[in-house]
Parts: sequence; C-alpha cells; structure tokens
Amino acid sequence: MSETALRARGVEKRFGAMRALRGVDLTVERGTIHAVLGPNGAGKTTLLRILAGLSHATAGSVEIDIDGENHEPSKARGAIGYVGHATLIHPELTARENLLFAAKLYRVDDAEARAQQLLEDEALGEVADVRAGSFSRGMSQRLSIARARIHDPILVLLDEPFTGLDRAAASRLAEHLERLRDEGRALVLITHDVEIAARLATTVSLLDRGEISEVVSGSAITVDRLDAGMLGDRPQPGAVA
Amino acid sequence: MSTTLAILWKDLVTEWRSRDRVIAMLLFSLLVVVIFHFALPVGTRSGIQENAAGLLWVAYVFAANIGLNRSFALELENDALSLLALAPGERGWIFLGKALANLILIGLVEAAAGFAFAVAFDIDLLKVALPLAGVVLLGTFGLCCAGTLFSAMSVRTRLREVLLPILLLPALFPVLAGAVAATRDLIVAGEASFEAIQLLLVIDGVYLVVSFLGFEYILDE
Amino acid sequence: MSSQASMSLSALELRAARMRSWLTLPLLVFLALYAWSVVNAPIDNVQGIIQKILYVHPPLAYGAYLGFVITAIAGGIYLWKSREDMDRLAIAGTEVGVIFCTLMLITGPIWARGTWGKWWSWDPRLTVTLLLWFIYLAYMLLRSFSGNSTRTARFAAVYGIVGIVLIPLNYYIIEIFDKRSMHPENLERGSLGDGMGMPFLLGNLALFFVFAYLVLLRWEVEGLRTVASEDEAERLAANREVA
Repeated sequence: MSETALRARGVEKRFGAMRALRGVDLTVERGTIHAVLGPNGAGKTTLLRILAGLSHATAGSVEIDIDGENHEPSKARGAIGYVGHATLIHPELTARENLLFAAKLYRVDDAEARAQQLLEDEALGEVADVRAGSFSRGMSQRLSIARARIHDPILVLLDEPFTGLDRAAASRLAEHLERLRDEGRALVLITHDVEIAARLATTVSLLDRGEISEVVSGSAITVDRLDAGMLGDRPQPGAVA
Repeated sequence: MSTTLAILWKDLVTEWRSRDRVIAMLLFSLLVVVIFHFALPVGTRSGIQENAAGLLWVAYVFAANIGLNRSFALELENDALSLLALAPGERGWIFLGKALANLILIGLVEAAAGFAFAVAFDIDLLKVALPLAGVVLLGTFGLCCAGTLFSAMSVRTRLREVLLPILLLPALFPVLAGAVAATRDLIVAGEASFEAIQLLLVIDGVYLVVSFLGFEYILDE
Repeated sequence: MSSQASMSLSALELRAARMRSWLTLPLLVFLALYAWSVVNAPIDNVQGIIQKILYVHPPLAYGAYLGFVITAIAGGIYLWKSREDMDRLAIAGTEVGVIFCTLMLITGPIWARGTWGKWWSWDPRLTVTLLLWFIYLAYMLLRSFSGNSTRTARFAAVYGIVGIVLIPLNYYIIEIFDKRSMHPENLERGSLGDGMGMPFLLGNLALFFVFAYLVLLRWEVEGLRTVASEDEAERLAANREVA
C-alpha cells in the first residue's frame, strides 16, 4: 500500500521577522510512520500544526488526500487526528464525556458505542466515568489518543507523544502506533528522541532550524545514522553549554 | 447545529461542576449594587426610577465582562481551544454554542442581580418581570455575540482580560443604548415601545451575523 | 542555506509608492492655496475668528471616516485572499484615520466653546465619532498586544470590519433615542457666507490630498519595515550558519 496521504511542498512559516520554517517538503504514505526528528526549536510543532490546519503556512502548500482528491488541511479536518503536546482534554469532564464531546464535534455516528470501544481499546474502561483532571500523564495521553481516533482519521499527527510516559506505557503506545500504521493510516510523529524514531519510523525527516536537512528511509534508519544526522557536521550554536 | 449543542452542553456541564464563573459574576454584580448605594447622592432616591435602567445595565455589563473573559480562558487549559479549531465544518456553529452558553450563564446572574437591585433600591420590577426579562434577554444576546467573538480574540493576546472591555465597550453602544431605553420605559411607564424592541432585534441580528461570520477567522493561529 | 529571494513589496504597493511621489506637488500647491485662502477669508460677524475652524473640521471628519473604511475593506480583502499587502494597508488606514479623528475631536470642541458656549455636548455625530475613535484605538491596541503574526492580522481585520458595521448602527440608534443634534443637517456649504465657499472647497481638496499622501506613505513604510525585518532575519540566520 503506497497511497499518498499527505503532501507538503515548500512550507514556510514566518513569525514577524523570525522564520520558523523554510521550504519544508514532506510526503507521507498511508500505512507508514513518518517521523520528523529534530532538536528543540527546530520548528517541529509549528510544522505539525500547519499540517493539522491549526496554523496557516506563510507560503507553500499542504494537501491531504481523501479518496483520491486533494484538500487543504482546513477543508480536510474530518480526516485528521491530532495528538498535541497538550492533551486537548477538558479536566472537568470525565473520560467518556470528553470522547462524547469530541464525537459530536466530529459528527460521529453512534457516538456512545464508539466512545465505549475506544475507552476499552485504550485501557480506560475502568476510569471511564472519572474526571479527566485527576488522570496521570499516561492516562491523559491515552485519552488524548482515543480522542484523536474518535472519527477514525486517515492521517494521525502526533506531537512528542512519548513525553512523560514510563517505560511500560511508552512501549504500549509504540505497539499502538504500529497497529494504527498496519490499519493503513498515515502517521506523522514529531519527536526529538532518536531511539523512538529509529524504532518506529518508516521514514525519518531530519528538521534543523526550519529546514529538512536529510531524509532517511527503510533499513538505513539506525540510531547511529540518525544521531549523526541530528548533530550534523555543523556545530549547534544552541547546544553550547 | 450538533456542534452548537455539543459546545453548549460541554460549557454548561463544566460550569455546573465548578460553578466558579456564575459565582464570580454574581458576587461582582451584587458588589456593584452596593457601590451604587454609596455612590448615589442621598437626596435623589426618588429619582432612582429614572436612572435605574442605566445603573442596572452598568452592573450587567461589568459582570458579563468577567464571565466572557472566562469563556475562552477555560479553553486554554490543555490547549482545548485547538480541539475546537480542529473540528470540521463551519466555525460559526462553535461560536453560537459558546455564545448561547454565555447567554444562559449571564442571564442567570442578571436575574439574580436584578432581584437584588429591585430590593436594594425599592423598585417594583416584579410587575414588569416578564417583559423586562424579554428586554434583558435581547440586550444580553447582543452583548454575548460581540463579547464571545472578542473574548476569543483577547484571550490569546498578551493583555487578555484587560483587553476585552477595551474591545467590547465601544462596540456595545447600539445594543446598550437600545436596551437601556427599553428598560427605562418598562420601569417608568410600565411598557416598552414596539419600536425599541424592533430596534433591539435588528441590532442583535447584525451582531449575530457579523460575529458568526467573523469567528471563522479567529480560531486559527 | 535557504535559497528564497528576500521578500519584496507587492506590485500594488510599488504602484502606490510611485503615486505618492506624484502627489507631492499637487499636495504642496493645494496646501499653499488653502492657507492663503483661509487667511484671506472674511471674518464671520457672528462667530468671529473661531469660525475659521470650519475650514478644517469637516474635511478632517471625511478623512477619519475614509481611513476607517479603507481599514475595513483592506481587512476584508485580507481575510478573503490572505494578501499581506492589504493587511499593511489596513494599518495605514487606521493610523491616519485615528490622527484625523483625533484632530477632529480637538477642533470640534474649540469651535463649540466659542460658538455654543460649552466644550462638549453629547451631540449624535460627536458621540458616534468618539465611539469610533475608541474602536480604532482598541484596534491599534489589539494589534500591538497580540504579537506580530497572521493571527494578529486576522483579529484586526475582523475587528476593523465590526467597527465599520457599527457606524450605521450607532447613527440609527442615536437618531431614535437621542434627538439632540447640533450639527447642521444639510451640507455646511449652504450656510456659508460670501467668500467662505472657496476656502471651504480648497480645504476639502487639500486635506484630501494630505490624507491620501499620508495613507500611501504609511503603507509604504509598513511594507519597507516588513522587508527590512525579513532581510535582517535572513542576515542573522546566515551569520549563525557561518559561525
């Protein structure tokens, strides 16, 4: 399966005089995990928010493929699942209520059943009716992922989803993402963690100061290779202690 | 429309569980009533009927300002605002859900504050309670339309709660002028002219359309 | 390193900048004629010298309203087409409009003090203008407090359009609930005495040229500022690359 789900060309983003992104190209196939790897401040989150349609690119284009037709992200919101760095969860609502709310926003048919299914799927069945504000980081993260999956999106965008998870939770999340991939979805995974990228990604784009410096795919993806790419031959002015 | 109802439900449930917004608005409006008592010259108590409408709306607008600020501030926790921005479809419906939730919460506070006002200044609002509720509802609807739109903007600026009244108050003139005039007629003469009601309806309509359409451009970064 | 050419002014902005330089001569000619004609205009035998404010006040009003209309229209085009040059034009419209509006709010009371005997009256036009002044000051605050981004531009565009929509609403409501107008209903020219028509007409023309010149100038400055800050950012990025 190599259907293209997302194609970004020459994406630029300026904040006033600052250029957060400079001509980023990205192609993501269905059934793959595309990791965008880079140090803090490289523009990863900015890029992901543009792909999600939350932010507008200053220049360039992003196209989401839905059944062979290309749409800009703001017209394809129903096909995108977004797991942000923040959880996008309402602490006053219970886990179930959070999912029902999201289901209504996305006009999901049979919201109750879908919410129940996802709660079980994400091992949140027992705390379904507990306020989300009391959840641990791991539980919040699973609820956040359940919320992003509520409308069965083709494209799942994840912003550092492993942050703050313990080893067991992280490995469960990794398996989970692999399953989403095997179901034929396209995943974009933003991370600064070389090992996570090496373990999960089908393709890795290295993002450095707003530019893709390198694209590594398939068997070429190893921790050493990505480490070298991350550090590059150039000194990192930001990393000088 | 289902989006609107979902947001209305979410906002009301959230408020029901914390109750912080309604309590803050209520306390504030009662304090304003007490301050009016001290601020007004003693001799003019008999003239209070003439001015009651204006004073009442001053209390309403300031209390509403507090509630409107919170309306989007509570979406900032966990970046829940992005969830609204991600939702497919026209964003005007999101606006409408937020605006209706504000209308209900602010309306509740207005009813209570109006009662306190009537008792404190010995004005018989009860005999015009129904038409008064209608006029207050019309005025508050316009207030909530503009207020919800501007709250979504101001909450993402550096000044946040400081900026909202600066944006909102000059824009409220038509709806406040109309609402105060109609309320004054009700208190003094016992009835509001059809003309005033018609006017409020027209103004509410304009606010609604502009805010509904404008909201499309407010949620993105 | 990134290979994009540094950003430049839009074609429309370049044409506007050329137009501004053409405007310089007529602007100076009309200003001179205007000053000469106001000095030589007869002194009103009822109001005295203070009546001469009327050669300044109404044209200031047109300029203010025109500035705000430009802001709303440019903002609308910005929302529709995402054209950044239109956002910059909206800034120019607001700032020049606010300057004209401020001067109008200063000259009005001076004249009113001399003629009506009090500085301020809640005359409908005055009230609406004052509200408008507040709206566009809020517009400028909104811009300066939401950082420099496309979001700022969109917020401002929406707010600028709301501001324009409010003008007819304000008049509508004030006409019905507050009938205390002190402004002449018909055109002011009708009530002008002999020899006053020419300076009045020249005043309108000259201040229109001033208005257009300032808007074009402010637009150009905003454009150049954007270009300059882009270049600066490029240069910094390049330096960092070399270091």
